[in-house]
Amino acid sequence: MPNIAVFIEQRAGQIKQVAWQMLSEARRLADAQGGEVWGVFLSEGGEAPLAAAGKYGAQTVFAAAAPQFARYDSELWTQAVAAFVRDHHPDVLLVGSTAMGKDLAPRLAARLGAACVSDAVGLSWDGGLVVRRPVYAGKCFADVVVTGAVAIVGIRPNAFALAERPTVAKAVTFAPVLDGSAAKAIVTKIETAAAGEVSLTEAEIVVSGGRGIKGPENYKLIEDLAAAFGAAAGASRAVVDAGWVAYSHQVGQTGKTVAPNLYVACGISGAIQHLAGMSSSKCIVAINKDANAPIFKLADYGIVGDLFAVLPALAEAVREIRRR
Amino acid sequence: MKIAVCVKQVPDSETRINLPGPVPDLDRSAFTLVINPYDQFAVEEAVRIKEKRGAGEITAVTVGPQAKVREMLKKDCLAVGCDKAVIVDDAALAGADPYAVAQVLASVLKRDRFDLVLFGIKAIDDDASQVGVMVAELLGFPHVSYVGNLVIDGDRLTARREIEGGVEVVESGTPCVLTCGKGLNEPRLPSLPNIMKAGMKPVEVLDCAGLGLTPPASLTRVKQYSPPPPRGGCTLIPADDPAAAARELARRLHEEAKLI
Ligand SMILES: Cc1cc2nc3c(=O)[nH]c(=O)nc-3n(C[C@H](O)[C@H](O)[C@H](O)COP(=O)(O)OP(=O)(O)OC[C@H]3O[C@@H](n4cnc5c(N)ncnc54)[C@H](O)[C@@H]3O)c2cc1C
Ligand SMILES: Nc1ncnc2c1ncn2[C@@H]1O[C@H](COP(=O)(O)O)[C@@H](O)[C@H]1O
Repeated sequence: MPNIAVFIEQRAGQIKQVAWQMLSEARRLADAQGGEVWGVFLSEGGEAPLAAAGKYGAQTVFAAAAPQFARYDSELWTQAVAAFVRDHHPDVLLVGSTAMGKDLAPRLAARLGAACVSDAVGLSWDGGLVVRRPVYAGKCFADVVVTGAVAIVGIRPNAFALAERPTVAKAVTFAPVLDGSAAKAIVTKIETAAAGEVSLTEAEIVVSGGRGIKGPENYKLIEDLAAAFGAAAGASRAVVDAGWVAYSHQVGQTGKTVAPNLYVACGISGAIQHLAGMSSSKCIVAINKDANAPIFKLADYGIVGDLFAVLPALAEAVREIRRR
Repeated sequence: MKIAVCVKQVPDSETRINLPGPVPDLDRSAFTLVINPYDQFAVEEAVRIKEKRGAGEITAVTVGPQAKVREMLKKDCLAVGCDKAVIVDDAALAGADPYAVAQVLASVLKRDRFDLVLFGIKAIDDDASQVGVMVAELLGFPHVSYVGNLVIDGDRLTARREIEGGVEVVESGTPCVLTCGKGLNEPRLPSLPNIMKAGMKPVEVLDCAGLGLTPPASLTRVKQYSPPPPRGGCTLIPADDPAAAARELARRLHEEAKLI
């Protein structure tokens, strides 16, 4: 019966939402198969998030506190999580596919000689763990089976819904031996983005602009609509390559992969490389003046029209609804 | 500086995969193969580092069937500034998972003393984003993943990587593994004369036995591929009056989809 551990990621004391999504899914699997759900939490010294982890069904939270966990360090964090795995033998360790998780999981897997699967969107049990994940940029899905004592599985943010399953979680502290002499790539500084800017990969709503916005001065239409929704602002590569907005906003095959609840594509044709980054969004809205644009094939709602007329009115209408 | 760049051949990003339903494996025979786009950033960065320092040597390494990868190595690596190439071609590695590939690459890279080993952040076929960091672990090197900006001063490097809501600045000495993303540079195109000259550069071909390696087993295996879940179809909102259309869309997102 699988025991499933979930890496509860925190940065600057803020816990990533994907941790609760993973616990919810782990609980669902464990309920069906028998087995326990655990959290693993590294921090500088704060309280383990027992109440929140228990809310989503964790039975135990293994927590380690050390000054070295004030900031992410791939070597030291690998040492700590590896020590946890060696001592407690979870069958599965879920790690969010975030900037931190994508950095940590492969190093951990190679250290433990463990199977590693990235960016999962589905988990099931069929005599063993089966991981569903998009491959070829979402053009198809692969069902992956794993061998070995422990499987390390990256989970795409927003792939799993939150499900409350109140449990009394107990805390177990552990004190991994940390060998600082092995750590050679050190985070020296973190520059935080402008206040109020929503992170693209975590956002529940994304509003993106394409070449249809015509020029850099009009990207503010996208930002304004994004602000109305409380969304992150994205862009097609055409817009990024033209220098209208920074690469950090690019969505697609060579940009970010996003899977928000709502994706609003404005003046974006829907090239296959753009779809690669957003096709698993739950609801897609397309606003484009060309009724034959491929984006409409994927969209749930469409407006065939001029974005310069539609976007400001849409921002106003959304603000109006959210004010109520 | 001795630099290695690991490059993978992948299906072109235009590739269409239209599965009628679940299949045990993909038919890859019609795929057009190209260098992984992220690996082009790694190659370009290696070449820029060498040019800036005025000295160094760049080795491109790939695991794949030599009949297919040779042309890519010549055009996309050797013709743009890599000095030599290594191909690991072994039928036992067909379908190898990222960890198995990482073990093979690590055994190639251990034969020499590299100061920097560059990778793409991910291959656009398996979308794994694992191999570079795994190789770092197997070599005992530090790594910085998802590098979007790099400054090298002597043998110290400062890399910037995007995280949610900001940028992490990471410092490291050499040797070091970096995984390279877009934003790092603008890859150059090979010129015709350089493609011709690239044909003269050394290419070593090895198999696992030649590396003294038992082909590593894959710990993950794809048992089935399936099409993405179908989408529901598009509700078009009439847009004779754009403002009314916008209001109608907002209403539907609120009442029907319950998203706002
Ligand atoms: C290896 C590779 C990787 C790539 N990676 C990415 C990637 O990561 N992300 C990405 O986006 N692209 C990527 N691309 C590029 C991709 O192929 C397309 O070129 C790009 O997505 C087009 O961007 P666009 O839709 O903004 O522009 P266009 O295709 O030019 O579309 C503009 C759209 O705006 C509409 N429009 C114009 N004016 C208006 C108006 N007033 N009102 C409403 N609509 C209007 C037009 O009808 C048109 O549909 C990649 C390409 C390659 C080869
Ligand atoms: N078969 C291979 N040969 C050489 N390098 C590879 C191979 N597979 C992956 N890589 C490298 O590892 C990176 C990440 O690949 P992946 O972990 O498969 O997404 C790629 O961008 C390449 O730099």
